[in-house]
Amino acid sequence: MKPDQQISRNALVWIIISMFTLVAPHAGRIPVWVLAVYIFAAIWRIMVFQGRWSFPGRWVKAGLIVSGFAGIYFSYGSLLGLEPTIALLLTAFALKLMELNQRKDGYVLLFLAYFICITEFLFSQELPVVVYSMLNVTLVTTALIAMHRPGEHQFNRKSIRLAAVMLLQALPLMVVLFFLFPRIGPLWSVPLKSHTAKTGVSDFMKPGDISRLGKSDEVAFRVQFEGEIPPQSELYWRGLVMSKLEDGAWRSLRYYDLPPDQRRPRPVQTDGDPLLYQVILEPTQQHWLYSLRYASSPSPGVLASADYVLFSPAELEDERLYKVQTWPGAILEPTLSDWRRELELSLPSTENPRTLALARQLRAEAEDPQAYVDMVLARFTREPFTYSLNPRLLPAENATDAFMFETLTGFCEHYAAAFVLMMRAAGVPARVVAGYQGGEVNPVNRTVLVHQFDAHAWAEVWLEGRGWVRVDPTAAVSPERIEWGLERALAMEGSFLRESPLSLIRYRSVAWVNTLRLRYDALTYRWQLWVIGFDRDQQFQLLNRVFDGISVRKFVLALIGTWILVLVPIAFSLLRGRSRPAESEIQRCYLLFCDKLARAGVIRAPGETPDQFSARAVRSLRSSSGQIERITRLYGELAYRGTSERRAGASASLTELRRLVRGFHPAQG
Amino acid sequence: MTARRGFRQGLRKRFREWVNRRIPAARSVTLDQRRIFIFPSRTGLFFTICLIVMLMTAINYQNNMSYALTFLLCTLFVVAILHTYANLSGLTIRAVRATPVFPGQQSEFSIQIERGGEREHFALHVQWPDSSSGMVNLVDQDAVQVQLRVTARKRGWFSPGRLLLESTYPLGLLRCWTWVDLDLYAMVYPRPLPTDELPGFATDQPDGAAVPSVGSDDFYGFREYRHGDSLRQLYWKGLARGQGLQTKQYGAYASRSVWLDWEMFPGAGVEQRLSYLCHWVLQFEKRNEEYGLRLPGLVIEAGVGERHRDRVLQALALYGVEGRSRET
Repeated sequence: MKPDQQISRNALVWIIISMFTLVAPHAGRIPVWVLAVYIFAAIWRIMVFQGRWSFPGRWVKAGLIVSGFAGIYFSYGSLLGLEPTIALLLTAFALKLMELNQRKDGYVLLFLAYFICITEFLFSQELPVVVYSMLNVTLVTTALIAMHRPGEHQFNRKSIRLAAVMLLQALPLMVVLFFLFPRIGPLWSVPLKSHTAKTGVSDFMKPGDISRLGKSDEVAFRVQFEGEIPPQSELYWRGLVMSKLEDGAWRSLRYYDLPPDQRRPRPVQTDGDPLLYQVILEPTQQHWLYSLRYASSPSPGVLASADYVLFSPAELEDERLYKVQTWPGAILEPTLSDWRRELELSLPSTENPRTLALARQLRAEAEDPQAYVDMVLARFTREPFTYSLNPRLLPAENATDAFMFETLTGFCEHYAAAFVLMMRAAGVPARVVAGYQGGEVNPVNRTVLVHQFDAHAWAEVWLEGRGWVRVDPTAAVSPERIEWGLERALAMEGSFLRESPLSLIRYRSVAWVNTLRLRYDALTYRWQLWVIGFDRDQQFQLLNRVFDGISVRKFVLALIGTWILVLVPIAFSLLRGRSRPAESEIQRCYLLFCDKLARAGVIRAPGETPDQFSARAVRSLRSSSGQIERITRLYGELAYRGTSERRAGASASLTELRRLVRGFHPAQG
Repeated sequence: MTARRGFRQGLRKRFREWVNRRIPAARSVTLDQRRIFIFPSRTGLFFTICLIVMLMTAINYQNNMSYALTFLLCTLFVVAILHTYANLSGLTIRAVRATPVFPGQQSEFSIQIERGGEREHFALHVQWPDSSSGMVNLVDQDAVQVQLRVTARKRGWFSPGRLLLESTYPLGLLRCWTWVDLDLYAMVYPRPLPTDELPGFATDQPDGAAVPSVGSDDFYGFREYRHGDSLRQLYWKGLARGQGLQTKQYGAYASRSVWLDWEMFPGAGVEQRLSYLCHWVLQFEKRNEEYGLRLPGLVIEAGVGERHRDRVLQALALYGVEGRSRET
């Protein structure tokens, strides 16, 4: 055991600091007992350092490792998956700390720490996370440097400076590598985030589901249009089409619900120029992609379902960018297949008898389906229906009857569900569509920001010759919701984001808060577009543009060229030493001073020391005696100090000397 | 197996020759790019494996920030090359002294490490092959001395070989090192070998001839005071008369002073003779008796005292040694 390989106190403190900053962002994802192990390990190691306890024995360590594995198995029910893996890594990290003694243990620990930094990005790559992770990397690097400084028995901050400098020097090289390194597809499948909650709209809808989303101020997705942004009331972001009513909940068709000949979307006739836009969707852990209808997407990995919504076969674990073309006027399914018609008309016949009776009665009064639709909407407007984020709870049986005739308060999903029920009861094919409606236009970069509280449900009815037509019963009850968004619609109720008092959106009326929020959001969008969403296609386009054609030779040359450009100045500044005033610079100042005195008639004799010369000069030039003495003293201090003393304040003194000599104008005679 | 070992030894020899040409011996050596070697350390290789695992994670999760962090650590490695190199560059290593020893004893070699500029240097590890090692920083001082102990083996000038100066500061990922051939030798005396008695006192002077000797009673004459003479033998009266410092010398008869002679041990080999002589030098020195030394081509007049002993031992140590050459 070499003594110089031992971990110094300073290094140990840095390691423990970085250990806790590393675990902090994961704290919500791992079982609480892992944190307890963490603290226990840190305390044990500190006790060892103070000589009170000893390192754990072999059997203690083996026992801890086995119980760590067992604990994770029991906490998650499996050792597979991303979260259990991370919990394992963190437990291993804590246990390794306990036996940290030699530098080689330190290497294992700190390289593991770098890897833990990476795992954080698998959950989020947003700016705050990145900034925090950079802090972590700096701390881990500091600990690594501290391990190589022998004899530092006191905690100090000298290493962090070097760590920051080295990382800053590495940064430009990294950026070049980031953009040039070829992006290839995954090599093998990897554990998924099985334990992360799904967000956004789900694939079935019970009363209350959408209103729950209405209380969240998180961003669902951001859209950038090429050209004009359509009016707010036209922004119906379709995500899911729900055609099946089961046990009081609407749900979308699953793949196996469809007969084979119905699985592909039927071709749609499009004419005119489409709306072009791209969407960056936040991770949802689900499959659907939101778009305006009728949408098709040229982006890879985006498919269209038989009911004309876009989806991704893989769960959306990360931000997802996709481009969309939309023809708003296109007719969807001008003719209905028999299977489809039957599906879109099916109803459980025994539930909600009062609503069904009302529907049949109104249909009898109307001459055609369109008139019937108008009559139902008119009823929503005429009767005292109210739009509320917190409607009264409905009974499990005959919920729609209770809503239509008793409570008369509901959120969009209540209206959409009741409306579709009435359509189907009267023989008009209809279905519920879930997604988002509206969005906030960010004036900074002209993106449309869609929040979770913009979640919405509406209806589509099939009319002869017009195909599927969008009908939004909520608009009949609360036109503000469609024109101005949820905040206006709930102004009376005062329930908008009532449960998130810290949400910045609540302070939209404060101008500077709002500007700050929107600017930050624009930055987030740019970050998502250029950094998180930087994929093979984007890389191809970028490199093609910059290098005027793709060629490996050019890339290698560019890489080497930029690296040399960065590394040579670094090498130069490193090897030259740190801002030590050159001997000659001090001498030059003094010689200039002598020249000025010579011009004033006082010539320095050979062999005369600066002090003697100064004394003589002061005698003949009484008016500038103070300056002469000050310059001589400063010169003496600079020229005859030891090398190591010189560093402290040397450059400041030299600047002072230079200033004094420049401003020195001895009077003639 | 043997062929492979032979090949490796051949390689090693070639490398040593190349290093000898590149970094010749000197009293002091300033490190520049000709003398500094740098290569990833074992830790660096381990780190590279970690980087590959990180890259695999980034590729498999298609995660751009993971790519970015992997590349950042990668380029940190690159930047560390410069920092590690700078930690050694500009240092001057100066030979200071080496203590003379008997074979099998540890000679203390002192070297001084100086910095050229004001940069801080950390964790400089110095070691000769088979020596103790030292670890120094140059932070607040411009120079630092290090003592390293090496066991000397053979009589003559002993060189411990090339001095290894290495450092893995700041990250431990790279090892930067140099082999400095310092012109620094320890003198190694012959190994003292006891003989039961001193065969045939060599007294080539006739009885009665007085030879100056310390510690006998008969006054013999004056000589100039030399540093180290006893104060009791100072001629104080002469000093009072203004004759300067003089030492009274007392005579003893030559039979009481001993000549240690090369020819005393007929039949013994060179090293053996030197070892016997060395033994008797130490014996007489212990008894505080005068002795002189006669080697082929070299005569040291009789005397006693530490300086005399060192002179004699040096003569024994260097007998037949041609210049300073390193043992291979």
